[in-house]
Amino acid sequence: MTHPAPALSADLCLKCNICTAACPVAAVTDLFPGPKAVGPQAQRFRHPLLPSPDVSVGWCSGCGTCTRVCPHGVAIAEINIQAKARLAQEHRPPLRDHVISRPEWLGIAGSLTAPITNPILRLGPARWALEKVLRIHRHAPMPPFARRTLRARMRQRCVSSPPADVANVVAYYHGCSTNYYEPELGEKAIAVLERLGCSVILPPQRCCGLPLQSNGFFPAARRQASTNIRLLLPYAQAGIPIVGTSTSCTLALKHDYRTILGVEGEAADAVARGTFDIFEFLATRLDAALDGIDFAPIEATALYHPPCQLKSHFMGTPAMRVLRRIPGLKIILSQSECCGIAGTYGLKHEKFAVAQAVGQGLFRQTADSGADLVLSDSETCRWWIEQHAGHTVVHPIELLARSMRLA
Amino acid sequence: MNDLLVVGEGLTGLFAAWLAAKRGAHTTLIAYGRGGLELSSGCLHLASGASPHAEIASARLPHPYALVGTDTVFRALEALTQLLEASGLPYSGRLDANLLLPTAAGATIAPAFAPHSLARSDLANHGPMTMAGLTGFRDFDAALASRRLATRLQRSIATVDLPLPGPAPRRDLYATDLARRFEDPDWCRETCRAWKPLLIGVRKLGLPAVLGLRHHARVLQAIEEALELTAFEIPTLPPCVPGLRLEMVLREACLDAGVDLIEGAKAIGRVDGTGLFARASGVVAMTAGGPQLHNAGAVLLATGDVLHGGLVAQQNGLIRESVFDLPVVHNADRATWTSPRAADPQPYASFGVRVDASMRPLDEGGQPLLPNLYAAGGLLAGARRTEEGSRQGVALSTALRAVEAAIP
Repeated sequence: MTHPAPALSADLCLKCNICTAACPVAAVTDLFPGPKAVGPQAQRFRHPLLPSPDVSVGWCSGCGTCTRVCPHGVAIAEINIQAKARLAQEHRPPLRDHVISRPEWLGIAGSLTAPITNPILRLGPARWALEKVLRIHRHAPMPPFARRTLRARMRQRCVSSPPADVANVVAYYHGCSTNYYEPELGEKAIAVLERLGCSVILPPQRCCGLPLQSNGFFPAARRQASTNIRLLLPYAQAGIPIVGTSTSCTLALKHDYRTILGVEGEAADAVARGTFDIFEFLATRLDAALDGIDFAPIEATALYHPPCQLKSHFMGTPAMRVLRRIPGLKIILSQSECCGIAGTYGLKHEKFAVAQAVGQGLFRQTADSGADLVLSDSETCRWWIEQHAGHTVVHPIELLARSMRLA
Repeated sequence: MNDLLVVGEGLTGLFAAWLAAKRGAHTTLIAYGRGGLELSSGCLHLASGASPHAEIASARLPHPYALVGTDTVFRALEALTQLLEASGLPYSGRLDANLLLPTAAGATIAPAFAPHSLARSDLANHGPMTMAGLTGFRDFDAALASRRLATRLQRSIATVDLPLPGPAPRRDLYATDLARRFEDPDWCRETCRAWKPLLIGVRKLGLPAVLGLRHHARVLQAIEEALELTAFEIPTLPPCVPGLRLEMVLREACLDAGVDLIEGAKAIGRVDGTGLFARASGVVAMTAGGPQLHNAGAVLLATGDVLHGGLVAQQNGLIRESVFDLPVVHNADRATWTSPRAADPQPYASFGVRVDASMRPLDEGGQPLLPNLYAAGGLLAGARRTEEGSRQGVALSTALRAVEAAIP
């Protein structure tokens, strides 16, 4: 299947402004003209051989809300992410963008040096220096590195090729954050899948490349995409589902590689079709197994914020369907399209205030709702919300694991 | 497994999904983009003419009003207005007479029910009024609106330009931008302070519909108290805030009632079995990764008319329904689909799917195509909804009837 270039969809735009009304960034700053204005509207002024006519698309956070709400099939977010990449080519991006685009390198270095790096990153002066040198906002969330990565903890599950017997086997795409920052989350996800009868393996994998894509480094992002497709294809071809807990990574495998980076072909399609968000997998493939579980009650009120990147899977909120099984748990849905961080957007010194403003509604709803905890499927959202709302924020799989008496 | 799967996120789909979930049905609403409510004034048109009630009661088959009956129209309206009242977005109106409200273009519309803030402009009251433009807000021209309205109504309407406090915006402001600003109590207070000396002697003030989004009632009250006058709103160009408010209330009511909402995915209908045993089994949803199956006990199509994606014209000149490829009542001759003048009633507006009294689509022989497939709203044949002023009445009443048939 070939995906038409997003730019071609610009002509489908009726200028109805449904995207503008939904855009969380345009709602809080007049620096951003809105997704319609910088997307399908500005597209006619962009020429492959001429410089970008306007830089305001740089304020787009890439949350994808516009594409999801468009009733006419305009790939608005995709047009804008590609236009942002053009800007990055034309204006030398700062060193900062190169650094935050490579969570895998940071993770390797950070986990090796965790005993030293973690305390340093908690120091105010260190963060002040980072802000001065790299323009990473001093209050941007920077979680501690794990001393032992998930792969190190799960060495016996790491494989180099698909097993001969593929029955009930699941390949876990943990991504960088679970491997280097939150290995406990990976352990709980694996425990849940195994309790439901799956046999979980860790296939070889690299960073999905989404941060590179978001920061406009398309050639490097395409290399990550091609590598991951090559590494994961044997599992997809063997019919082994590739399941992830990080919604933006799984969205990259499903959609961004093909539609934004243009890495297309049968191999990319096979990996995309074989990739699942963990709750999508539970809700669609393991419903019967879930019926057999005696869930322990959790008497709590949780505010669930489905990340914008999860909603861009176009599959709704499968976690809601599964979490309803937990007795005593009351779930309040977030009324916000986006928490603000949008991957690496909110880390940046110049974007921090806008990202904070985007999240205000969610932070206020968290405070007003009387929720005991917050649930969110994306790591950067969790770190960002936890920092701003002051609540404990966990991946919904962690709550499910608790109710399944696995944590 | 869903009890009911609703396709479409306009007024019909949202209202139907909410009704179904309230009846205890496990409901999923799937939508390829958001519906047209954000482009609408948020008003509820039942029928033009002196008395909507009388018009609805006199509808003849195959009009959807004749299929569902007057009682269903009224019950649907009652259910919606009660929800809106409880959600802080009260509507007013009557069944025996339409309101007469101004538009941003200086024309008039005659809905039966309208958001309280719009309904208060009712032009049937002849008291003096002033229309205000907001400096720098392009989507409402008070001078144009008042001049055209004054000519139409043979009365004089004053205008005033009101400044917006703070630094000049760095781009054109949308109605949604202003609505969000008014929700900031400090900004709203400062604005009222700046306006007060410009409004001496004004008793009734018409403003573009930008007075708050989620907390509209609070904003309206704050403005009226600060300015000591009666304020009403005039709907603007899209994004139109009163329509957006209605959509937000309905979507949140759906989510509160437990509806699973899937946005962004195109749906393709699935049928199991053949002949007498054929049933709608659900839809295939086109997700980011690939197709995903959704099973359902019943499917309700609320995909709208040809302008909203419910009907598609094919290369061969046929018009078909877009999810289940159902037959559509339409003119065979393409040349007769449109009127020569854009402002005239358009023949294509009456094209649609023919249904029985339970809202089940019919085949050419008049038999239900599938026992558990339903259609409602703009997708239906038999109404000239714009011409008749029956758009929202048809949407709400057929949604209610379909849900009652699907979830007995």
